[in-house]
Amino acid sequence: MAIKNDDKLKDIEAIRGHFESLGYICSVEIATAVFLAYHLEKPVLIEGPPGVGKTELAKTTAEMLDLPCIRLQCYEGLDESKAIYEWKYGKQLLYTQVLKETLGEILDGATGLAESVDKLHSFGDIFFSEEFLEPRPLLKALKAEESCVLLIDEVDKSDHEFESLLLEMLSDYQLSIPEIGTVKAIPGKKPLVFLTSNNTREISDALKRRCLHLYIPFPNAELERQIVRARVPDIPPKLNQQLVAFIQELREMDLKKVPAISETIDWARTLILLHSESLDPELVRQTLNVILKFQEDVETVQSELQGVTNRAIKAT
Amino acid sequence: MTELHDTLVEFVQVLRTADVKVSPAETLDAMETLDIIGIENRVLLKNSLSMVLSKNPEEKEAFNTSFDRFFSFNKFSSENNAMEPDEDTHQDDGEFDPESDAPNQQSGQGGQGGGQGGGGGAEASGELDFEQLEAQSELGKLLLSGDRMEVMIKMAEAGRQVEVNQIVVFTQKGLYTRKIMEAMGLKGLQDEVGELQEEGGRPQMHLAGQLKGARDHLREQVRDYVEKQFFLHADESGKQLREELLKKVKLSNLEKRNFKDVQEIVFKMAKKLVSIHSKRRKTFKRGQLDIRKTLRSNMQYDGMLFDLKWKSQKVDRPKVMCICDVSGSVSNYSRFLLMFLYSLAEILPKVRSFAFSSDLGEVTRLFQQSKLEDAMAKTMRDYGNGSTDYGQMLADFRSHILKDVDSKTTVIILGDARNNYGDPKSEILREVYDKAQRVIWLNPEPKSSWTVGDAEMKKYAPCCHQTEVCNSLVHLERVVGNLLRVAV
Repeated sequence: MAIKNDDKLKDIEAIRGHFESLGYICSVEIATAVFLAYHLEKPVLIEGPPGVGKTELAKTTAEMLDLPCIRLQCYEGLDESKAIYEWKYGKQLLYTQVLKETLGEILDGATGLAESVDKLHSFGDIFFSEEFLEPRPLLKALKAEESCVLLIDEVDKSDHEFESLLLEMLSDYQLSIPEIGTVKAIPGKKPLVFLTSNNTREISDALKRRCLHLYIPFPNAELERQIVRARVPDIPPKLNQQLVAFIQELREMDLKKVPAISETIDWARTLILLHSESLDPELVRQTLNVILKFQEDVETVQSELQGVTNRAIKAT
Repeated sequence: MTELHDTLVEFVQVLRTADVKVSPAETLDAMETLDIIGIENRVLLKNSLSMVLSKNPEEKEAFNTSFDRFFSFNKFSSENNAMEPDEDTHQDDGEFDPESDAPNQQSGQGGQGGGQGGGGGAEASGELDFEQLEAQSELGKLLLSGDRMEVMIKMAEAGRQVEVNQIVVFTQKGLYTRKIMEAMGLKGLQDEVGELQEEGGRPQMHLAGQLKGARDHLREQVRDYVEKQFFLHADESGKQLREELLKKVKLSNLEKRNFKDVQEIVFKMAKKLVSIHSKRRKTFKRGQLDIRKTLRSNMQYDGMLFDLKWKSQKVDRPKVMCICDVSGSVSNYSRFLLMFLYSLAEILPKVRSFAFSSDLGEVTRLFQQSKLEDAMAKTMRDYGNGSTDYGQMLADFRSHILKDVDSKTTVIILGDARNNYGDPKSEILREVYDKAQRVIWLNPEPKSSWTVGDAEMKKYAPCCHQTEVCNSLVHLERVVGNLLRVAV
């Protein structure tokens, strides 16, 4: 594949470096996935708990390569008229009305029904040609002249029918439109496809088989500190260490919704706004609702608050 | 290059025995990946292959273990320079460090052995006051040349030739060791040693000694290699064999030590059923025309009815009530049925379970809150000690539970219908039959025993939609599968 800026994808360390410069700290596995996706021309299925940076990965890749990022958000009931293409019915109707006059000219000389119909046939399927086609995200991605990054977000929220729709696109990078034919991606300019999933349901095997599978887990303490530092640059290092240690311990607890990286970053920003230099139990209690989204979780943590905070403070 | 691909195919076999379902298309992808990334960097190799060959977290776990085991003896042939074939090796140098930049030395599994050339050569490296004879046989030459690499390569080749990956049982180790040695040319070596010993004379005896030492050393290494192959390939398939047997055995014959294995099997079956049935099906494109939907979707065609829409019905999940006999021998069957049903909590959310021998008691809460063993134990303690009385059980059912039975409920009764000549009260069962969607009776005894002695199946059977013999996991799976498959 030869898309623009692909020298940035030459090797894995380079990819990591570019991502870091754009503020996305990632592990070696993630960079490997992007590398392989480009060289093998295969889509990447990214799974993991919510909030670890799956969508961010696609957006950052698009930014790094300076390509448009076409996004398709999946939901139950998504079908091909919203995902692939739709006919511009209004335009078709309008044109037929306007061209009623010219109809007389075309049929001039034809007598009887059979001849008239033949004459019409010879004009081809004008009203079902490319001008009347409204491309939706998938088709747009295929036809993009300079390649692009296609993000199919939360593919596990869609239904089985939609997954079957995707199969042709993902294995051969082509789509069949009955009236027009098969639209293929420009060779050498296939889109870079990312699919994200939260694992709320099992993705069908056929889809998984066509993709490279990347699992992004919660980061370890070191990586998380780097991420916070990249996203919230003015955080004092001591506070950074403490809050990361706190969150890491929270993840071990039995909570309904475990805090993810986005919550860590939000909390860091909150603490900066409150001008705090280090953690203390009162402060944590007040800001607990930034990291926990369920009341029962808040209650669970509050009972252990003192202990966890002290351990986090000692961790520096 | 093709050796690389061959090795990869072997690795995929190992993965498949470890329950990672790799399709041929994915194998091809993996080959392409190998061509792109090469094999120098172990971490990169592991990450890339993991992405291509394993597609969910459980498979990734299995992949990691298999990768570490398989590639710790780097099977890749090299064309590269870091192959110091040092003669005087230490014995523990065998396990080549794969992290190093030149991991591609073709070393077989005989890692522990170290260079066997070294073993024999150590003596020879001293001063000899007679000439050192040349070995004549192929194998002899190879062994004395001290080229460890070559020996490993030949060993792996011989292994492939005799299909050592077909090894199934531990006791076949000796057999395969001998086969591999023979494929490597053992006969020629033995003959030569014999000849030398006949000839006599110091140089000949010396050479014979060297050859014998080298041969014994090689045998050790081959044995090691075969053992490692066994762990890679057979261990898992032995397990699969055992699983097959456990599925078919009568549940009352199981002993406590098998329970854990059976539990695993039950979970696996449950998972399979869950993945098959987790999507709620809609029946559509047939039946009644849905006028409203049709009109609405055809407005774009100016009211002409191009696209017909049909009324669709969602196939709902059944509500299950499970009544289990927990007395004596039938308790084993009950245990596994309950285990099964609770593993299916995802697709059978509304399971209510009851236990009885004479009195009926609801144990739903117990099973939801405690672990399976504890719940079973408590159930047996509370309800398992009476003489079986189906009549009483049915009476209890009618007075307390019958009101909750509706047309979406499936009632499963697991028991041998042996009533000790009491009053069967089958008219109550008839009431249940009328109210519920389905009544299924599962009887652990074979059909021939259903009318023998105090069994009341004749009276109960007409009040059930289905009666089944159910005494092994295979039957259980079938019953539960049918349960899930029914359309409204």
